Amino acid sequence: MEAKNLTVCRNARLAEHLYLMEFEGAFTPPALPGQFIHIKIDGLFLRRPFSVAGQKNNRLAILYKVVGKGTEILARKKGGETLNAIGPLGKSFPVIKKWKNVYLAGGGTGIAPLIFLADKLSGEDVKITFFYGAKSRGCIGFEILPAGINFVFTTEDGSYGDKGLLDRAVCGFIGKNGRPDVIYGGGPAGLLKKIGRISEDFSVPAFVSLENRMACGTGICYGCVTKIKTGSGWEYMRICKEGPVFNTKDIKWD
Amino acid sequence: MGLNTLGVKIGGLSLNSPVIMMSGIFSYGEVVLDYLDYKKLGAIVTKTVSLEPRKGNPQPRVWEAPSGMLNSIGLQNPGIKAFIKKGLPAVRKNGIRIIVSVTGNSAEEISGIVNLLSAEKIDGIELNLSCPNVNRKELMAAQSPEMTWLLVKAAKKECGRIPLIAKLSPNVTDITAVAAAAEDAGADALSLINTVRGISVDVEKMRIMEGGLSGPAIKPAGLRAVYDVFRKTGVPLIGMGGIASGRDAVEYILAGASAVGVGSGFFSNPFLVDEIYRALGDFLKNNGIKKLSCASGLLNEKEKKQAGQPRRKRKV
Ligand SMILES: Cc1cc2nc3c(=O)[nH]c(=O)nc-3n(C[C@H](O)[C@H](O)[C@H](O)COP(=O)(O)OP(=O)(O)OC[C@H]3O[C@@H](n4cnc5c(N)ncnc54)[C@H](O)[C@@H]3O)c2cc1C
Ligand SMILES: Cc1cc2nc3c(=O)[nH]c(=O)nc-3n(C[C@H](O)[C@H](O)[C@H](O)COP(=O)(O)O)c2cc1C
Repeated sequence: MEAKNLTVCRNARLAEHLYLMEFEGAFTPPALPGQFIHIKIDGLFLRRPFSVAGQKNNRLAILYKVVGKGTEILARKKGGETLNAIGPLGKSFPVIKKWKNVYLAGGGTGIAPLIFLADKLSGEDVKITFFYGAKSRGCIGFEILPAGINFVFTTEDGSYGDKGLLDRAVCGFIGKNGRPDVIYGGGPAGLLKKIGRISEDFSVPAFVSLENRMACGTGICYGCVTKIKTGSGWEYMRICKEGPVFNTKDIKWD
Repeated sequence: MGLNTLGVKIGGLSLNSPVIMMSGIFSYGEVVLDYLDYKKLGAIVTKTVSLEPRKGNPQPRVWEAPSGMLNSIGLQNPGIKAFIKKGLPAVRKNGIRIIVSVTGNSAEEISGIVNLLSAEKIDGIELNLSCPNVNRKELMAAQSPEMTWLLVKAAKKECGRIPLIAKLSPNVTDITAVAAAAEDAGADALSLINTVRGISVDVEKMRIMEGGLSGPAIKPAGLRAVYDVFRKTGVPLIGMGGIASGRDAVEYILAGASAVGVGSGFFSNPFLVDEIYRALGDFLKNNGIKKLSCASGLLNEKEKKQAGQPRRKRKV
């Protein structure tokens, strides 16, 4: 992990509330899909965590949604400005060679780490199906979707792809095409919880990226914890350290 | 500036650097951060450990505040026995001086926990009398001079030769009375301040978030506490609260601190330890001061001299 200044080289609005920021200056060691960077934003005390959405050569990308003060400031950043970031942080998605048929299921900005994962896996001999859920057509970031991958879209208002929620699309797809070897997920807790249920119902391993408010980002403050099952019950574990990627069978949902 | 000029003694504990990572800011010291220069840290204080394991508080636990943050971690910890068995060996691997922060609800609990620790190879014990995030309806020990005296006394009886530090709260009418009680009961040093109690209001969700306020917002309160306690006690002070730059640390030293505590400012600025270390060294050099201990409380001493009071010899 490193703490360094990254230079913004592109900051573009891709869709409603959805922004892509590209930086010059990758980390050593390089980030793996599922890991995040912790960005210092001027005027705010706490850093803000963002999943790495892509990394090529000396470039790094994040995808973000404007939800509050910090992301509003980010959206106004111009090319050439710098931001201090700590990264890469947290555990990445586990990838096993024998998993040849993989599903990625992401809602909103939860697709960010999955885009990176899809990009990594697409060079391998792996069949990828990417389920992308959004509020409406205007919220989908078409530009960043990697080529050569089978996409299944759902929108809440039915303006693009199937109308309805993403987990239903995943279930329906499994019904028609059979079980995948693994499911990777990102997005709102409600969706991730349902992915956990699908994992149980179909006996497919599933790994999801969790989010919580964070302070340190590096495992030293215990601010971002979530309930994880242990032999005797459950314990609060750190999303920034033991996660953000967890096996759904270990997560104790509230 | 070499290590010696910045070396300090805190309640019998010799440190190579006056920069201390405070409790709750650095886990138990086992996490390795590649960008941190551990040589510039005099010691680390562990996250507070209790006799029994504690799960800690539910989410949300951290929240942005104007020039700072609120936290409500609730002393999540594995309990003293598990800490001694698993936590301590992991910290020792980092080769850094360890001050173990402990808490307890009664003199018996404090005696028990300090007794268990007294057999361990550690460099200090900090008694956390001031966590705002457990038993919110009850007083914190550090809100009562009597309770403070009782708990410090209980710890002192059991800690043997391990230096004992009492950590005090700013949420009091007169912190100097509590500090005097802690000194009287045998504390070798004092840490001040812990977080300031606060809440944040979420208008959309119509709820509040309770926690302890830290960060630059509380620096004036921390400086005030150190400045006042310096005059009323003779024990060394570890000053903290809102230190976010090297200059902030110099201010604490001038107000009366012998060493400075790095807190939540480290979350913001990963290079804070280096910056403080450099600024303290530069300050001594630029002012022709030989040792950091000669700068501790300079402002205080100046005021006393003007008032015609004698300089008070401080313990180390
Ligand atoms: C490991 C991790 C990876 C993340 N990856 C991405 C990503 O790739 N893209 C993206 O857009 N967002 C991501 N997030 C969420 C992102 O960190 C928050 O949206 C951001 O911190 C909000 O900052 P703000 O100042 O704009 O909002 P604030 O003003 O702080 O808060 C506004 C709203 O955002 C919510 N919020 C604040 N902090 C967080 C947080 N850490 N997690 C979840 N919700 C939060 C609050 O509940 C509130 O409703 C990630 C979070 C984590 C923990
Ligand atoms: C996330 C967090 C956790 C903390 N946990 C503890 C703790 O367990 N014990 C303790 O004595 N102080 C704890 N503190 C208080 C700090 O040690 C310090 O006294 C306080 O944050 C003020 O310093 P600062 O403004 O530099 O952060 C905690 C502070 C924060 C921000």
